[in-house]
Amino acid sequence: MSKIVILGAGISGHVAAAHLRRKLSKQHEVLVVSPNSNYQWIPSNIWVGIGRMKSEEILFPLQPLYKKKGIGYKQAKVSTFHPEGDSETEKPFVRVEYVAGEKKGQTEKVTYDYLINATGPKLAFDMTEGLNPGTNKAYSVCTYTHAEHAWDALNDLIQQMKQGKKAKILIGTGHAKSTCQGAAFEYILNVEQELRRHNVRDKAEIVWIANEPQLGDFGMDGMLLSYGNNIMKSSEMVEMVFEDRGIKWIIGAGVNKIEDGVAHYETLDGEYNSETYDFAMLIPAFSGHGFKAFDKNNQDITEKLFKGFMIVDADYTPKSYEEWSVQDWPETYQNPSYKNIFAPGIAFAPPHAISKPRVSKNGTSISPSPPRTGMPSGITAKLVADNIIDAINGKNNLQHKGSMGNMGAACIASAGYGMTKGSGISITTFPIVPDYNKYPDTQGRKLSKTFGEIGLAGHWLKLALHYAFIYKAKMRPFWWLIPE
Amino acid sequence: MTRRISKSKRFYMMNPIIQFFKFIYLSIKIMLIVAGGHGGTRKANY
Ligand SMILES: Cc1cc2nc3c(=O)[nH]c(=O)nc-3n(C[C@H](O)[C@H](O)[C@H](O)COP(=O)(O)OP(=O)(O)OC[C@H]3O[C@@H](n4cnc5c(N)ncnc54)[C@H](O)[C@@H]3O)c2cc1C
Repeated sequence: MSKIVILGAGISGHVAAAHLRRKLSKQHEVLVVSPNSNYQWIPSNIWVGIGRMKSEEILFPLQPLYKKKGIGYKQAKVSTFHPEGDSETEKPFVRVEYVAGEKKGQTEKVTYDYLINATGPKLAFDMTEGLNPGTNKAYSVCTYTHAEHAWDALNDLIQQMKQGKKAKILIGTGHAKSTCQGAAFEYILNVEQELRRHNVRDKAEIVWIANEPQLGDFGMDGMLLSYGNNIMKSSEMVEMVFEDRGIKWIIGAGVNKIEDGVAHYETLDGEYNSETYDFAMLIPAFSGHGFKAFDKNNQDITEKLFKGFMIVDADYTPKSYEEWSVQDWPETYQNPSYKNIFAPGIAFAPPHAISKPRVSKNGTSISPSPPRTGMPSGITAKLVADNIIDAINGKNNLQHKGSMGNMGAACIASAGYGMTKGSGISITTFPIVPDYNKYPDTQGRKLSKTFGEIGLAGHWLKLALHYAFIYKAKMRPFWWLIPE
Repeated sequence: MTRRISKSKRFYMMNPIIQFFKFIYLSIKIMLIVAGGHGGTRKANY
């Protein structure tokens, strides 16, 4: 009998738990440890943030589902890792602290045979002075509660605009090293459309602010896309959409301080500027959770497990941008020191960025961190589950591999909500990490699999994915037929 | 110079009938890319 402990019940943790439970016999234990009692379909937070969906439509409680499916669950958060056990406990374990219920505040050792760290990112608002969702008129849509607050504030502003107030809305990244530009991009387009729907668009100035060196970089070094019969750069596509919607932009900007209605930032040119606003939604930096690890003798071995995020089978040798290669990216998400520990989704430490690193004239690093979107999070979680199943069945060959340098991603960016007025920008990219050796003439990507489409169909697609992925996450009949 | 979304393009983008077929086309195309699989990069001819 094996015990597999999964830390986190986001996209990757939940996907791993679901596949493990489906494929392993009941003699093996699958246990999820996660502090949030709900599963949330994060991509639809954008619609919660414009008041077009309620939180309840994007979440469901985990405990009843896990009970029904035979998956163990502890509403707790991991604090320390002990991959060799300790003087009292022979088996490897993690120490967890309950966050709710009768055991709230109590800690416990949770032993395991296999450990999947799927704890995603820490939303590091504290890395930007004054950036704290709900204060200083700056909001976030990274969780459903953040998104609800964002909508309350935006709705308030819309009502004031209806009374004649002129307003400025600032949306983008809240730190020089933020990632997840795609989510901010969706939000700005959705907000713009909502203002039109409420007949107050003429009252608002909408500004995009981002650490991207060019529009449409998305932390992926931009991309060359086929768009209808044309070939277009992602920067041109985003510029076309922003022009069409009357959205202004500030790029190469590292936001470093937020005051009430003022965002201070440094540009790649080394200038220090500020932008006022009446409502802002700024994506924070994502960081590791700061976990500590200890060996059998209680000596600190954090550097064997973590480099901010968790160390996996990537090549972490420091290299210049010109030397980066797809081979640097992990294939199995296995920790090299402790082979029974894996980290899929956002929890793994990337070998480096994907976008070219850029430094301002003052020496400040201003460029996007590498994104790991929902699709790769799900795919990497499933392949980790499959490798663990193989190992339990005596095949220790890690035959399931999935490097972001040999994996496609579909990103359907919502550009406005509505069955007849909605819009979406459907972008697919293959591979996610550009392979400049394999595709030297098309900026590292395969053009037939890297395309962009704008229109109503994109909204329907995004909505269809919302329902399909919630169906899948609820493990309804034949859920596993829906790909990650 | 910034490209612009032309009137005809906008009609195409927002026409529900055209977009219905686009929806089917995009669903299949995205499914094919997703189902196209993934793998490692460290072996020759991956
Ligand atoms: C607003 C927004 C919109 C997005 N839209 C899209 C989109 O349209 N398409 C797309 O592909 N991607 C999108 N993404 C990205 C996508 O949501 C992420 O790629 C995905 O959520 C990553 O999954 P994950 O499981 O690695 O991390 P997460 O989803 O962040 O899950 C981490 C889990 O770990 C838990 N956890 C945290 N700390 C601990 C601890 N100490 N102990 C135990 N558990 C812990 C958390 O509670 C959570 O359950 C979006 C992201 C945002 C913020």
